[in-house]
Amino acid sequence: MDIKRNYYEDIELFKSNTILVWSILFLVFLAILPWLVMKYHLLGLSVYTVNLITVHAIVAIGLNILVGFTGQISMGHAGFFAIGAFTTVIFILKIGLPFYLALPLGGFISSIFGFLLGLPALRLKGPYLAIATLGFGMAVTTTIKHLEFFGGRMGLQAPKLYLFGTPMKDIHFYYMIMIIAVIMVIGAVKLIKTRVGRAFIAIRDSDIAAEAMGVNLTYYKTLAFAVSAFYTGVAGGLYAFILGFINPESFHLIMSITFLAMVVVGGLGSVMGSICGAALMTYLDIKLQAIQDISLIGPALVTFSQKYMSVAGISNIAVIVYGLILILIVLFEPLGIFGFWIRCKRYWKTWPF
Amino acid sequence: MNAECGLNSEIRNPKSAFGEKMFGQLIVSGLAVGACYALIAISMVIIYKTSEVLNFAQGEMAMISTFVAFTLLETHQVSFPYTLAFTFLFAILLAIFFEIAFLRQAKDPTVLGLIIITLGFQMVLMGFVGWKWGPDQRALPFPVSNIEAYNFYGLIISKINFWTLIVSLVLMLILFLFFRYTKLGIAMRATQQNQLAARVMGIRTKWIFSFTWAISSMVGAVAGMLIAAMGVLDPPMMMDPLLKGFASGVLGGMTSLPGAALGGALLGVIENLFGGYISLSFKSVVAFAIIVLMLCIKPSGLLAKHYVKKV
Amino acid sequence: MVKKNLIFVGLLVFTFFISAPASAQAVRGVTDTEILVGQWGPQTGPAAPWGAVARGSDLLFKIINEEGGIHGRKFKYFLRDDSYMPAKTKAIAKEFVEQIGVFAVVGGVGVATGMTARDYLMENKVPWFSPVTGVYEWIHPIQKYLFAMYPLYDDEAFNLTSYLHEKLGYKKIAMFYQNDDYGKQGLMGVNRYLLKKGLKLVANISAEVTDRDLSTHALKLKDSGAEAVIMWAMPTHAALLLGETAKIGYKPQWATSNTLSDSALMMGITRGLWAGMINSFFSELPDSNNPLMVKYRDWHKKLAPQERWGVFYFAGIAFAEPFVEGVRRAGRNLTTESWVKAMETMKDFQGIGLPVTYAGLKDRQGGKHVFYGKVRPDGNIERLTDWIRITK
Repeated sequence: MDIKRNYYEDIELFKSNTILVWSILFLVFLAILPWLVMKYHLLGLSVYTVNLITVHAIVAIGLNILVGFTGQISMGHAGFFAIGAFTTVIFILKIGLPFYLALPLGGFISSIFGFLLGLPALRLKGPYLAIATLGFGMAVTTTIKHLEFFGGRMGLQAPKLYLFGTPMKDIHFYYMIMIIAVIMVIGAVKLIKTRVGRAFIAIRDSDIAAEAMGVNLTYYKTLAFAVSAFYTGVAGGLYAFILGFINPESFHLIMSITFLAMVVVGGLGSVMGSICGAALMTYLDIKLQAIQDISLIGPALVTFSQKYMSVAGISNIAVIVYGLILILIVLFEPLGIFGFWIRCKRYWKTWPF
Repeated sequence: MNAECGLNSEIRNPKSAFGEKMFGQLIVSGLAVGACYALIAISMVIIYKTSEVLNFAQGEMAMISTFVAFTLLETHQVSFPYTLAFTFLFAILLAIFFEIAFLRQAKDPTVLGLIIITLGFQMVLMGFVGWKWGPDQRALPFPVSNIEAYNFYGLIISKINFWTLIVSLVLMLILFLFFRYTKLGIAMRATQQNQLAARVMGIRTKWIFSFTWAISSMVGAVAGMLIAAMGVLDPPMMMDPLLKGFASGVLGGMTSLPGAALGGALLGVIENLFGGYISLSFKSVVAFAIIVLMLCIKPSGLLAKHYVKKV
Repeated sequence: MVKKNLIFVGLLVFTFFISAPASAQAVRGVTDTEILVGQWGPQTGPAAPWGAVARGSDLLFKIINEEGGIHGRKFKYFLRDDSYMPAKTKAIAKEFVEQIGVFAVVGGVGVATGMTARDYLMENKVPWFSPVTGVYEWIHPIQKYLFAMYPLYDDEAFNLTSYLHEKLGYKKIAMFYQNDDYGKQGLMGVNRYLLKKGLKLVANISAEVTDRDLSTHALKLKDSGAEAVIMWAMPTHAALLLGETAKIGYKPQWATSNTLSDSALMMGITRGLWAGMINSFFSELPDSNNPLMVKYRDWHKKLAPQERWGVFYFAGIAFAEPFVEGVRRAGRNLTTESWVKAMETMKDFQGIGLPVTYAGLKDRQGGKHVFYGKVRPDGNIERLTDWIRITK
């Protein structure tokens, strides 16, 4: 039933029993996923790739809170990602904190920077805010590169994590990351349903009207940045460990843009959309390769390249395909994957008509 | 090891004659590179003025036009004036193709969605150039040399830099006058302010958009060729200039053409001065920080009118 | 309602049967007829020019297969594109080990990218031959299965500075370097030498990798009055810097590392300003008459005529030859251990690259030599020295 009878029904996490059942089934699926992936090479994935997707999903959710729900823009989220990664590793390496403390602390430090970045956001909009966030991302990377404390130009090696004495492998990371991800997803969904979430949405739809209604713009805008930065920072901390080695150069503008693309492709203003968007973009990024090895059209492409194009650059076909997919998804479904899902649901629901 | 600048040299006397010239030279070089940023800013501002779209594919559109010019000049030995004409034609067709085939097809797009479309197009173009021409760096055969320089009272400016300054100022002036005083220019401004009203008033908005993109792409092609002539022609050559050009446009105000030129000049000079006297590594960061600070004082950029939305 | 759910569940079940599980082998990556080898490289993205290395190795393996293979086995080569993104490199490494099951990884451009894969490969006892960068990370700490070959940037810079100072008599030396591991290790080497002699750099100027405006850098170099400038940069920066310094009338003696040894390319993009540059080299020159080079050039014309015969293309061959030699020496009974033992016997083995010696069980830096050359105005190289030993 879609009709809510009182406020408590509105903020319930599971709207109906069907959703609850599917959610539990999905969680069970997640629990056995690593076994499936390792045994059957599902879709050519490895547990590492699934971990990467999950980390990106957390970032996408964080960015969506800012962009989709609060209507701001950020082209510097790689900066928060980097802050989270580096501070978590530094806390463990130089200060000797245990992992379960270092990670939230890393996220917290990231949220402080998020708050700071939120301050100019109070005055700036659109391209002006984009440049401010862009500058922030650049500043973070450059600063980290020049401080020997952060490993300087050579980057930092993430220390080995131990779970009850044994070094953690991909599959242990999987469960740890998945648990953290589930907690954060539930947190995000709940956040949107509370007063804070409604304030965000009000700001997105019309910030002047929101202020007139009593929404404190300063507080909520900076809070949106801070929460978004927290999510991204925690994801960054996890990222440092699944990669094993972090280097400031890899947190560049292209990474920020990829995050933005994940959110838009998945669907602005939808947590589930961000997860799907992150999954799709990461999967494409990693898997769209070796086009010339595809059985049917591969050799044809190679001969075509030899005649009219360069053979050296044939791998660029993957880049073209990636860009085209990005364009086509946004063209045909401006609401992203989430919009596609809504249309499917509507189609099924109204099927006989 | 904090020695990034030459200031730790024991031999150099900071008060030497060259030291004073250094200040002047830094400003001249800053203006020269700022002119490139200004051209890119102008091309982005033209589109933003008409449709409020941030064209992140601007750099790559300029880059592919430059590669086309390169092929004409190098492989087919076409003379420069004809190359220029063909390149402009290509730039116009490319822009119109993109506008009609992709942007117009978007049903009810959000601003962010349009940005993502331009980003996707940027990837497509980058991939296409990498595929067609390969990743190696090239030199663009250009009639004006970057090595030969004019010497004004000891300040050196290369011929290309000089002409870039002239071209960017002239283009800015022409476009500014065009937007302000011609019928077409006013129509373009009207389209940006209220598309529906413009259509009601009889302005063919679809034609306006195509025209806007075509002009923007041509200016971009000019920028691309000049930047390649100053340096190296390779697929990622416009990535950094695009960023700086965007920042310049924002600094000057995204709806102001003189602002774009001013923003470019300021960004180039600030970067060079900071890099020359304090730290080369942080010059871009500090330049951006100064831009953000200026924006906090004037949120819509230096020369643009700040419209406060009425509820 | 039920039908809809059934279809959905059916789709889910279908996706489970997409791939078949991997087959087990006695020695990973070695069958009766094939040896599986993999390499990652930046085929797309801003670092794409270095993708030529991986394609060069492809040519070498093709040549060997055409000539009959080794001990009855042919090479199956897997080339993957990581766009210089460490996250992708790790995915590729996992694919190589877990899905394809390669015998060894050869080459691989990039430090940040290689470092994500290094520990993973070593833990899984996958031999890795010659990452295509001369940084310390490959030999600090020494790993049993990681055999480095690329000459160390630090030692090369040390030696180059000594050549400039002692052989050519320059006292005022400046350095321009790129702000990453490559540039920094070059700076370390230069400073190490100058410290030994009680000297200092008159200027040390760095540039960010993405920077396209080097006018200020050129000004500072001129301002320092250096007689010789050591450049540790990538082709684009080198071209930009030479242009800027020529513009302001500053012409020191330039010297640079072997990453810029593609003189044909450099002459082209610097419009001739490259003349007079002192370079170090890690392999035979592109037009050399070395019989192996002649043979490779012939095969190149036959199998990959569209590729430019550039220094980094045939570097892919140079940095894979010792690996193949190791396979040859290990004999028909090829295992990871037999290959390692064969590599440890290598003394002064030379293909078209630098001589390779693994002097003892704990030595994993096989490449210890470079030679110097000067670029003539017509673009050809004048050899200044023979192979000089730079690493102890």
